[in-house]
Order: sequence, then structure tokens, then C-alpha cells
Amino acid sequence: MIQLEQISKSFGKQEVLQSIDLQVKKGEVVVILGPSGSGKTTLLRCINYLEKPDAGQITIGDLKVDTKHPTKKEIHALRQQTAMVFQQYNLFKHKTALENVMEGLTIVRKMPKDKARTISIQVLEKVGLGNKLDHYPVQLSGGQQQRVGIARALALNPEVILFDEPTSALDPELVGEVLSVIRKIAKEGITMIVVTHEMDFARDVANHVVFMDGGLVVEEGTPEEIFQRPKEERTRQFLSRITPQATYSI
Amino acid sequence: MTLDPSFMWTAFLSLFKALPTTLMITFVSVICGLFIGTVVALCRIYRIPGLSQLSTAYVTFIRGTPMLMHLLIIYFGLPILIDSLAAKWEWSFTSASIPLIGFVFIAFSITAGAYMSEVVRAGIVAVDRGQIEAAHSIGMTTPQALRRIVLPQALAVSLPNLSNSVIGMLHGSTLAYTISVVEINAQALVVAANNWKYFEAYIAAAVLFWGLTLLIERGSGWLEKRLNAYHRGGVM
Repeated sequence: MIQLEQISKSFGKQEVLQSIDLQVKKGEVVVILGPSGSGKTTLLRCINYLEKPDAGQITIGDLKVDTKHPTKKEIHALRQQTAMVFQQYNLFKHKTALENVMEGLTIVRKMPKDKARTISIQVLEKVGLGNKLDHYPVQLSGGQQQRVGIARALALNPEVILFDEPTSALDPELVGEVLSVIRKIAKEGITMIVVTHEMDFARDVANHVVFMDGGLVVEEGTPEEIFQRPKEERTRQFLSRITPQATYSI
Repeated sequence: MTLDPSFMWTAFLSLFKALPTTLMITFVSVICGLFIGTVVALCRIYRIPGLSQLSTAYVTFIRGTPMLMHLLIIYFGLPILIDSLAAKWEWSFTSASIPLIGFVFIAFSITAGAYMSEVVRAGIVAVDRGQIEAAHSIGMTTPQALRRIVLPQALAVSLPNLSNSVIGMLHGSTLAYTISVVEINAQALVVAANNWKYFEAYIAAAVLFWGLTLLIERGSGWLEKRLNAYHRGGVM
């Protein structure tokens, strides 16, 4: 289980996160929605300490971290329990697809090379890239790169995978292949926190939806509650503006 | 005045005696310089208190003074320092036991470190921030991320500039003759003085340096191709 308590973060005078609480149960898929600048990406990046929260507490399983004064060891532990899929993929440019996935297993998990290799190939096959093992990122399409990114996270078998707008940088044609991979792994019971603008996908894959605005959680609930019967005016406004644009069907 | 081509050839062959010395000076100063440069660049990028200011001072001072000066200052200054320390702590080690070439290694490593730190720094800064974030996100520590992800990419980016530095150090190594280390330039002088044919000897030395430089250019071109295999595309 993952628990965030009173996470706060400011950039200068701008309060980006105002004492956010969030709970994610094991195996749950939580989707965070919200307009740009609402703090959703920052919140996600606070969970693995890519962004340093000003205050608050993060609990992942047995690991409890006071984010105000974490030790290096605690930050490292947080990062070992989590994995992230980035908007810009951020694959290691000088490594092949296979090496990208193996890197975390051999270097961080200290796994023997041949075992890491076997696992990595399995995971890459799962995301449909078994035939691209030796391709460098520049030789892959955006959708393929993002699937390698997902494989890299998945191979580590983390407590939670954090998705930071995984399809926002993709051509509309390539969004589908990435979403279907995420959907597939969501069904396997992997805990995920997803920041996305894909409403259909959110509705379909989420167990729990969180709507953020202005650094606050405005409303949260099941997908039905949020999409069909939003309580807050701000949520309604946001959904009415964004829903007609979501026209991909997968 | 007439040119003596056959003596030029004789001189050229005799220069090879000094080739290992020249190569040693270049190699040692480049390798140590790369190491110093990387450490200095990281101190400055991460703004490590104290070390960062020290690094900046080092880089500006060394780049602001001629290479020959570094050699002379080390050659005359280091023995004083070592001997006074040796007297104080009663070491059996004195400056007399340092071979001449040792001063060259130390001085030119310091020189190369300052120049290379700027090259390495530019390379590291050129690596996309997302790369180190991705490395952190899969649980790597910062040193692991630097060693495995950032530095290899930075090195590939800096290669053309690094090869410039190597060529600079190769040519700079001729200054070692001022403290009587017999590298190619000094050897040319020795051969020439025996025969009073300075022009021929120096032409021969120039040709040898040119050849070495071509080898470095070729080598770095090959390495660049290899290291940047992943980088198809780009502007060219």
C-alpha cells in the first residue's frame, strides 16, 4: 500500500502542492486528472523524489519516509520501490532496447547477466517488442520507445509504477499501442498511478480517479462517480471541456 | 643554402628514439588530465561548497597562464616543497629521487586537467536531464547514474573537442626539452647540433608530429563513429 500524507511543495512563491493526501491500495490503478499546472506531475515526481517535497510523509509498504529530512538511503529505497514511465520516454540513448531494460536489473538489483537477460526479453516480448531487442532508441518509433520505457519499469517488478503522461508526446496514431500495453499490465494487478489526459482510457482502466486543480485534490472517487456524477463544479467544468476531444477508440 | 634530403631521412630515423618519451608524456598527461578534468567538472556542476570555488580558481589560473610556466613552476617549486616537508617529517624521500620526466608528467597533467575540465563540463551539460532522472527512477544512485549513463554520453559528445586537447598536449610536450627531457624536439636539436643541419632536423621533426597528429585524428574519428553508433540522425 502507498500512502501520501500532507505532501506540500512550492516553486518559489508558487504553491504547487498544498498538503496532498493520497492512498493507493495494492493492485489498484489510480488515475490523476487535472488541467495543466494543477500539480499532478509534480505530485507523481515527489513520490520517487525526483522532485523534493517541502513537507509530508510517503509510505510505501514498510518504508516510511519523512520527506522533509530524508536520508540518502531512504531516497534510494523509495526509488527502488518505484519505477517511472516518462512523458518523453527518457530511454538511455546509448543503450539498446534490451540493455535499457537490463540496466536496472544488473546494476541496481545486482542480478546475474544471463538471468537479467532472460527476464528482460520476456518483458520486452510482453510489450510486443521481442523483435527489436538490439535496436537503439533512435531506431524506434515513439510508441515503441514508450513501450521499452514501460518494459524497463515493469522488469524491476516495483511496488508501484508511476506513469507521467505516457502518451502526451506521441502521434495520435501511436497512442493506441501504448495504452493497450498499459491496459494489459493493469489487468495483471500491478499497482499504478497514472497522470493522463486520455479520458476514455482513464474511465476504462482506473479503479480510482483523483481530480486535482491548483495544487489541491478537488475530488476523488470511482470512475463512475467522477465521470458521471461529479460533485464539484470545477470537475464538471474540466470534464465538459476535455471529454469531447477524447476521440480515440481502442 | 642547400637542403640535404638524405640527412633529413637520417634525422627522421633517429627521432624515433625519442618517440616513446613524447608518447608517454602525451598519454600520461591526457589520462590524468581527463581524470582531473572530470572531477573538477563534477565539482563545478554540483556546486560542491569549497571544492567548486577551488575548481574554478584552478581552471582560471591554469588556463590564464602558459603551459611552459606550469612546467617551470613545478620544476623549480616542487623540489623546494618536497624537501622542506621531508626535512620536517624526516622522510627518506627527497626531490632528487624524482626523475626529470616526473616533473613533466605532473605539470602537464595539471595543464591538461584545466583544459579538459571545460570540455568534459560542456559534454555533461549537453546530456539531457531526463537521462539522469530515468537512471534515478530505476533506483540508481547518482554515482552509478553518472558512471553508467551520463559520462558515456558526455564523452561521446565531447570527443571532437577531446581530440583537440590530445593534439594540443602532443604538441605541448615539446616544451619538456626546456628541463632537459629528450623528447622529439630535443632529439632533433641533438641530431642537428652534431651536424649543423638544424633546418633538416626540424623539418623531419615536423613531419613526425604531423604523422602523429594524423593518427590521433583518425583514431578519434573511428572512436566517434563507434561511440555514436546509437546517434544516427541529428543535424548531419
